[in-house]
Amino acid sequence: MAAPSIFTDRERKFLQELVRRDVEFMIVGLSAAALQGAPAVTQDVDLWFKDLSDPGLLEALKKVGGVYIPPTGSTPPMFAGQSVALFDIVLTMDGLGDFQEEMENALDFRIGRVQVKVLRLSRIIASKRAANRNKDRLILPVLEDAAATIRERGSDS
Amino acid sequence: MLEQAKVSRTAYYSLTRKESVLPGSVRAIADQLSVAPSKILIEAEAAERRAQALLRIAKKVIRKNPEASFENVWHTLMLLEEPPINRLRRSLLRGRALDLH
Repeated sequence: MAAPSIFTDRERKFLQELVRRDVEFMIVGLSAAALQGAPAVTQDVDLWFKDLSDPGLLEALKKVGGVYIPPTGSTPPMFAGQSVALFDIVLTMDGLGDFQEEMENALDFRIGRVQVKVLRLSRIIASKRAANRNKDRLILPVLEDAAATIRERGSDS
Repeated sequence: MLEQAKVSRTAYYSLTRKESVLPGSVRAIADQLSVAPSKILIEAEAAERRAQALLRIAKKVIRKNPEASFENVWHTLMLLEEPPINRLRRSLLRGRALDLH
């Protein structure tokens, strides 16, 4: 099966620039679940940063032609620009420990030439349970079934 | 031997007269791909064996988690056969397609 043409070099380059500058971040949310094999659909790739004021983040953005839009009273912090259009900024995760704690248990995934940290599926489930919004309740059975499948496949191989 | 295999002499001699006993469709595909027909058959067999192995895992998951949806389990197993980047791409592609409707 041919890979669909989305999340191409443009997006990978941004991740690569972040890693090159040692910006501490991890992929979270449903895109993290999808990377691990959960059949979840999402529109964006959520990135959880340890420190949004890390100068490396702005440098990486500049390198790929993206910009950082700081939060206002009514809007969250955002990225703008074609190369970063798929990425969303996450500041906190419901029901989880702090960034460092979660980072220590995160998984390593290779995306193209870059290795990135990805929040574990069990922690994504914990976060969805804690957030408990309608959309979280809808996706939880899918994530739980995926987690059970991944466990079984792991023990089977 | 023919008797033990329950194959009639007529059927046997009919086969020996044929240029190939493989279905024409298999030979046509192999010809188009410029590969030996046996290569297609071997790959098809491997794919079938893999599918059977995955089905066994799916059944095991459902047995241990009766409330789990077979569809979710099967789709997860299919996605795990792909590299992570492709899993993410599929997720984004579907998510963005849904947003258009």
